[in-house]
Amino acid sequence: MQDQLNQIKKDFENEISKADSLKSLDQIRIKYLSRNGIVTLLFDKLKEVPKENKRELGKSLNELRDFVSNLFENKKSEIEAQSTSLTSKIDLSLPGYPIKIGSKHILNQTLEEIKDIFKSMGFSVFEGPELESDYYNFEALNFPADHPARDMQDTFFINKNFLLRTHTSPVQIRVMEKMRPPVRAIMPGRVYRNEAINARSYCTFQQVEGLYVDKDVTFAELKGTLVSFAKQYYGDSLKYRFRPSFFPFTEPSAEMDITCFLCKGSGCRVCKNSGWLEILGCGMVDPNVFKYVNYDSEEFTGYAFGMGIERIALLKYGINDIRIFFENDVRFLKQF
Amino acid sequence: MKISLNWIKEYINLDGISVEEIVDILTMSGLEVEDVVNQNEIYKNFIVAEVKSVVKHPNADKLSVCEVFDGKEILQVICGASNVAANQKVVFAPVGSIIPNGNFEIKKAKIRGVESFGMICAEDELLLSDDHSGIMVLNDDLIPGTLITEALGLNDVILEIAVTPNRPDALSHIGVARDLSAIFNRELTLPEINLTESEIPAENIASVEISDTINCPRYCARIIQDVEIKESPLWLKNKIKSIGLRPINNIVDITNFILHEIGQPLHAFDLDFLNDKKIIVRSLESNIEFTTLDSKKRELPSGTLMICDSKKEVAIAGIMGGENSEITESTKNILIESAYFNPGSIRKTSKQIQLQTDSSYRFERGTDPNIVKYAAERAAQLISQYAGGKVLKGTIDIYPQKINPKELSLRFNRLNKILGFEIDNLKVAEILKNLGFELIEQNNEFIKVLVPTYRPDIEREIDLIEEVARINGYDNIPVVPKISVTLERKEDHQKFEDSVRNIFVGLGFNEMINNPLISEKEASLSGNPIKLANPQSIEMSCLRTTLLAGALNSVKRNLNFGNKDLMLFEIGNVFNAKNTAEINDFEDLVENQNLIFVLTGKEQLKSWNSVEKNFDFFSMKSFVNAFLSKISLEKFTNDSYYSNENENFIYSYQKLFENKIIGTGGKVKKQVLDLFDIQSDVFLFEFNLSEIKKINLPPLKFVEPLKYPKIIRDFAFIFDKEINYNQIEQFIFSQSVILLKQVDLFDVFESESIGSNKKSMAFRLEFYDEKRTLTEDEVEKEFNLLIEKITSHFNAKLRS
Repeated sequence: MQDQLNQIKKDFENEISKADSLKSLDQIRIKYLSRNGIVTLLFDKLKEVPKENKRELGKSLNELRDFVSNLFENKKSEIEAQSTSLTSKIDLSLPGYPIKIGSKHILNQTLEEIKDIFKSMGFSVFEGPELESDYYNFEALNFPADHPARDMQDTFFINKNFLLRTHTSPVQIRVMEKMRPPVRAIMPGRVYRNEAINARSYCTFQQVEGLYVDKDVTFAELKGTLVSFAKQYYGDSLKYRFRPSFFPFTEPSAEMDITCFLCKGSGCRVCKNSGWLEILGCGMVDPNVFKYVNYDSEEFTGYAFGMGIERIALLKYGINDIRIFFENDVRFLKQF
Repeated sequence: MKISLNWIKEYINLDGISVEEIVDILTMSGLEVEDVVNQNEIYKNFIVAEVKSVVKHPNADKLSVCEVFDGKEILQVICGASNVAANQKVVFAPVGSIIPNGNFEIKKAKIRGVESFGMICAEDELLLSDDHSGIMVLNDDLIPGTLITEALGLNDVILEIAVTPNRPDALSHIGVARDLSAIFNRELTLPEINLTESEIPAENIASVEISDTINCPRYCARIIQDVEIKESPLWLKNKIKSIGLRPINNIVDITNFILHEIGQPLHAFDLDFLNDKKIIVRSLESNIEFTTLDSKKRELPSGTLMICDSKKEVAIAGIMGGENSEITESTKNILIESAYFNPGSIRKTSKQIQLQTDSSYRFERGTDPNIVKYAAERAAQLISQYAGGKVLKGTIDIYPQKINPKELSLRFNRLNKILGFEIDNLKVAEILKNLGFELIEQNNEFIKVLVPTYRPDIEREIDLIEEVARINGYDNIPVVPKISVTLERKEDHQKFEDSVRNIFVGLGFNEMINNPLISEKEASLSGNPIKLANPQSIEMSCLRTTLLAGALNSVKRNLNFGNKDLMLFEIGNVFNAKNTAEINDFEDLVENQNLIFVLTGKEQLKSWNSVEKNFDFFSMKSFVNAFLSKISLEKFTNDSYYSNENENFIYSYQKLFENKIIGTGGKVKKQVLDLFDIQSDVFLFEFNLSEIKKINLPPLKFVEPLKYPKIIRDFAFIFDKEINYNQIEQFIFSQSVILLKQVDLFDVFESESIGSNKKSMAFRLEFYDEKRTLTEDEVEKEFNLLIEKITSHFNAKLRS
């Protein structure tokens, strides 16, 4: 019996080594392992074997069956692997199928990055209308009626009392009217200026306004917050300066400059040879503004800032014509 | 504003301070220097040369070939100016010099076949004026080879300073010098007045009367007789030129000089043209026409503050004089006006008549009422010096109510509270003193000062804080290393819009941003447009009522660029008037945030193993549904279909939520596309995001994925053509409410073989139960019942 088993083993080894396809392999499977296969039938014979031999033969049969099926599985994997490498003869360098890849407008990506930084510093995000009243856009922001400060911003008017907001600062008033301090928020949005359209200026752009009012808000904290923002956005090695300026709704007022990233401060066309680029305006909220929203300026102090998104994106990506933002040429849109 | 550093140095000693330092410190203390022209630098190559000979260019009518002596050798130079002549002394730009106007380098050149070794310069090329009528002809006694920086005194540094509207005090050389004096703690010296007056009092000759003292609180007049109108002396002409002005005559130049020296605008009248030699300051009672000294006729509204004589108007107060009394070459006797006008009144008139002058610019920002007399005396002194004549005794000074300096206190702890750090009390006092504030009281808690009247912007404690902060330097304010954040809820009102943006980017759309200002024609495509009162152009005269026009303009531009297959979207605000009446209140208008997406060209491009497919109405529907399911709204919405042409579409549909329209879109009709010159098919859909944002959906709940098998059955029917899919789908669900969960249409076809007014539709039905395995039998029963119901309800025929 054992000899018979050895012979079967040998024959099987021989046959399986010759098998070269799944089809021939399947024939071997049928011959040995199917219901009527040689190995299966041997198990049937086990019944006829005397009891005392049963145990030993059973063991041998199990061994044979394991041997056969292991070898079979190995061979099968081998042949399958071969056949896969046969199909791999298709030209894998053919291009993939065209799919549409969406893109967020670079200005909104820029805005989102800015929002993320300020949100991480505990700022909320609020909005206000683009079509504003003279009251919110000018009066409550301490622009007196017949004052030259109004010339700082060329305005599109709807009529005497309504206009397209020239800055996002009116949202400061709207937010403070609704809330009591502490108020810490940024207010992004579209603004309009009646300026000639050319490579450097457009009649509309987006701003991010910022406001923080509480009991002990200082200019030093304004500087700290804006320096942190600028470093997070432009990089830690950034150099900056705060220079006095004028906005009717802040006092003291400042503009923040950073080193020109084109010339690294040595002076070039972009920074008008100054080595500096202005990125935002800011200051401590003017007590007159607090009067309009019934905040006590002895109890509360605050800071405000505003920056233009277009300008930031122009500088960061080296774009030399602002109009390209509004052309919506998909060859431009898809770059970002 | 142009400021000459040499000029400034007449009032303050700046020895030992470099130009760079001055530029930097001015910028860092609030007077932003936008440009620096260092004459020593830009004129370093230019020299005086002598023209030896001039002959006509052999090949060009308008050119001359000149021989020029530069002090060392004779060079051949081509010149295009008609005034070039032998023996002239000229400004010569040798090869290698950079012409300041345009920043180009002079190179050895061959002009029409003749070589040229340099250039003879005109004033505009050197940025000395805008004169390009001919080359500059210099004084004869200059020696060829001398640098022009030396020969012409062009060794100045000219600063272009951007003065903010709150700083009228800085609109002059003395004003800027005053800031420098405070910064560097150096003394400011004002010019002394040494006036030789005649015995005759001015009052004997002329008189002044102010009838509107609100708008003209002070008026000073000086009378000078027997002046000689002539060219100004060289120093004065140079000063006037250095700040970019053109010298006119000695009197005009002196008034201009004083405006830029002290900041006080002056006006000189020809006294002999003033009836009764009388000045009356009054407001117009009715509209008049008035000719200003630039020979322009102007309509002046009633209420305009005027300077008049006893019979007529002679000047628009603070803005511009009249032609009827201006200084001419034959003027003998003059009246110098030095006055203080109400800033608001000047600004109002300047705006109304749209005329801004150097004078009005200063008056509307606020001049110093208490410098008025000094300025008049300074003018009188310079006029007697450079125009001869007798200065009559005394200044006629009408100043009914003296404007006194305000008292203001600054609490030191308030300064610290605002800035976040401490500045030494003594330092605070020093800064204010150097800026011209008079200290009247000081202790450990506060300092009390008198605010000089040239600082109308300083009205409150906070304004003093800014003065101290800017002179002390913003750079000296520390940068806090940490901030504290309250733990209350943070809000983000743009979160929804940001997520919508992400959804559309994920669906493969490119985001556009269009100009919200559009033409009236475009705005009229839908809604009730709001017009601008002062548009830039007809193309931008209205606010958008819909995002459609912007989207179609972008489609058009892309088609022009050759980008034919487009998936674009935009989120933006649209504006509609509620009725056609005037907008007097926010209630009269609606400002909504909308979302539009637009499809044109191919949805799927042809590739080596796929076929191309154009976008169609159903592509659009898929994106509508994809978006609405991403915001969990889709299953709560209904559709309304419009197969007939309407406002903007050939066919279209609307999405509704609780019977409210939340979006509309379809295939854009030809008349609309023609407006944008688009030939391709365009599908677009516009949502009202503001409306969608308001919807309060029940919170999302987890639904366990199905554990039991689905049973799938297909059937196909032949229907009458006019029966639409929506009806069939609704009917199927109304009949099988429990076991049937999903219906998919997988084939539609029409053919003669099934009848011309028929169509075949094939459906795949999914049956399942969330709690158990369905039996084939119960599904079969349900399925057969459905077949029966559909057959009878629609008079349809089951296809086998």
